[in-house]
Amino acid sequence: MSSHLDLRDVSVSFNGFKALNSLNMSVRKGELRCLIGPNGAGKTTALDIICGKVKPSAGTVSFDGTALQDLEEYEIARAGVGRKFQVPSVFRELSVSDNLEVARARRTSVLGNLRWNIGNSGREDIERLAELVGLTEQLDRPAAYLSHGQTQWLEIGMLVAQDAELILMDEPTAGMTAQETRKTAELFVRLKGKHTLIVVEHDMGFVKAIGDIISVMHMGQMLAEGTAAEVEAHPEVRRAYLGSGGISHA
Amino acid sequence: MPSNASNSNGLQRLIAQLAPLLIVCAVVLALPVLLNNDFLLNKVARYLVLGILTISLGLSWGFGGILNLGQAMSFGLGSYAMAMALKLKTVPVHTGVSGLPDFMVWNNVQHLPWFWEPFRSLGFAIAAGLLVPALVAAGLGWFMFRGRVTGVYVSIITLATMVVINLVIIDQQSYTGGFNGITDLAQLELFGVAFDAYGRATYYLVAGCVLLSLLVAFAFTKSRAGLIVQAIRDHESRVRYFGYDVALYQIFVFALSAAIAGLAGMLYTVVMEFASPTFLGVQLSLSVVVWCAVGGRQSLVGAFLGAVLVAGMQGALSESAAFLETWTLVMGALFVLVVLFLPKGLAGLAQATWRWVAQRRRAAGSAVARGVSQTEGST
Repeated sequence: MSSHLDLRDVSVSFNGFKALNSLNMSVRKGELRCLIGPNGAGKTTALDIICGKVKPSAGTVSFDGTALQDLEEYEIARAGVGRKFQVPSVFRELSVSDNLEVARARRTSVLGNLRWNIGNSGREDIERLAELVGLTEQLDRPAAYLSHGQTQWLEIGMLVAQDAELILMDEPTAGMTAQETRKTAELFVRLKGKHTLIVVEHDMGFVKAIGDIISVMHMGQMLAEGTAAEVEAHPEVRRAYLGSGGISHA
Repeated sequence: MPSNASNSNGLQRLIAQLAPLLIVCAVVLALPVLLNNDFLLNKVARYLVLGILTISLGLSWGFGGILNLGQAMSFGLGSYAMAMALKLKTVPVHTGVSGLPDFMVWNNVQHLPWFWEPFRSLGFAIAAGLLVPALVAAGLGWFMFRGRVTGVYVSIITLATMVVINLVIIDQQSYTGGFNGITDLAQLELFGVAFDAYGRATYYLVAGCVLLSLLVAFAFTKSRAGLIVQAIRDHESRVRYFGYDVALYQIFVFALSAAIAGLAGMLYTVVMEFASPTFLGVQLSLSVVVWCAVGGRQSLVGAFLGAVLVAGMQGALSESAAFLETWTLVMGALFVLVVLFLPKGLAGLAQATWRWVAQRRRAAGSAVARGVSQTEGST
């Protein structure tokens, strides 16, 4: 069966340092894949390659049969790839509802967007999204006033608004309380199936709560793939994490 | 019901935002009734034109985050387009009807240069006054924004480009009038109306263009494209990963801003009755930044009022004996104070005051309501 997303022999080097070294990964449609690994394993770089932030020096990335590695970032986004960044990235001076409105990128051309917004056909959509991420009360406030956890939620909400087929999440629960993390896990499980997700996480509790298959990266390569139990038992994974007390405490 | 309520909320907010704009325009249009002095009216018209120029900078800087230090380049190009057309309408002393302009005769030019030819048509000149600045800006923007040049580098490139064009105009004296600019112009005539620089018609033309520029800029900032431009100002790459071609949006707002500046330049020629290389000089271009910052760059009306007030003050100071030498110092101090204490300019101050008053009133209102319920309880 041909996969939805396919990375083949992808390599990247930054000034001689090989961040990715012949990385291979494939993800099926509707899957929720967790990507873990020690610091510097190349997890974020792998997401950067898929969304076009970094261009591979070798190898191919194909998504539904489209070669992504030669496209511009905005073209990759239009092809159906959404990305949440590790440092929460929102439009701080715009209101929460305007943030969500920008993310609902149904039309992307300049001339197509030279129309007014007061008819508000999308207002119900935005209210529904705000409810989903618990920001209904904050809709009219500038995003700069949100707490760190709320900012994370806003960016997650923006990705849901974008409605991309493939969603890349880089440490979505960083800085969240245990309760917020649990709510995030529930949301991700709901998104699974409708969207394909790749989630980079350190929190093993979170990974076990959401993930079907876990991919472990080490030194820019794929080390192991499997369920949580399989991965934890994998001898090479244990070796890669040696000294940090196993992956549960990473 | 919630969506209905928010709909009328949105409409209310829109009216609230449009109100200051319309009030300012009403005052501008009513001014000639109060001001029965043609000389003063011409002076006010001059400041209004500079206000339009500052609106254009507010659009690219305050909303697009593009600090164009060469905004006067677009202004100057517009003013030369108008001056060329009006020059060809004057009857030269030496060469008679439809002869060569005087400065070309002095420079031994034999034939009207090819690029002057189409300016015999006023319609062409007006179109050129809008489109040439817009196209130059779009071309420059193409190189800058495709190459992902941002921040201070954009400011340096725009400033340098303006200086280059300024030098070319000064250098090519036989075609541009050089250092002296283009003087001795005919009056602008549109649809049978003659626009004397000191006449009311000219004032109303300028005032109408103020209204037009404010409305066009306002409509753009309220459009979805305007929202995306503001999002780009806040976080450029985040916008890119939603599938928008960021460079195209930047080029668009940059070119729109240049076209409005070109309009202002054309009006400036009509009001001043000449065009000069100083119209695209560094001093004017940097002054526009000061006006915009003082008025509030994220408010179109604020930017406009900032220009009218500060340029008016500049005019008054530079004419008074006491400040003849030091008015630039006063301006510099004003800029420093605004940057330090009013990062959102006078418009930000006005908004904060308005919010404070509204809060006080609401607090007073709820206190009254409490008082009423207490008295009701006691009876």
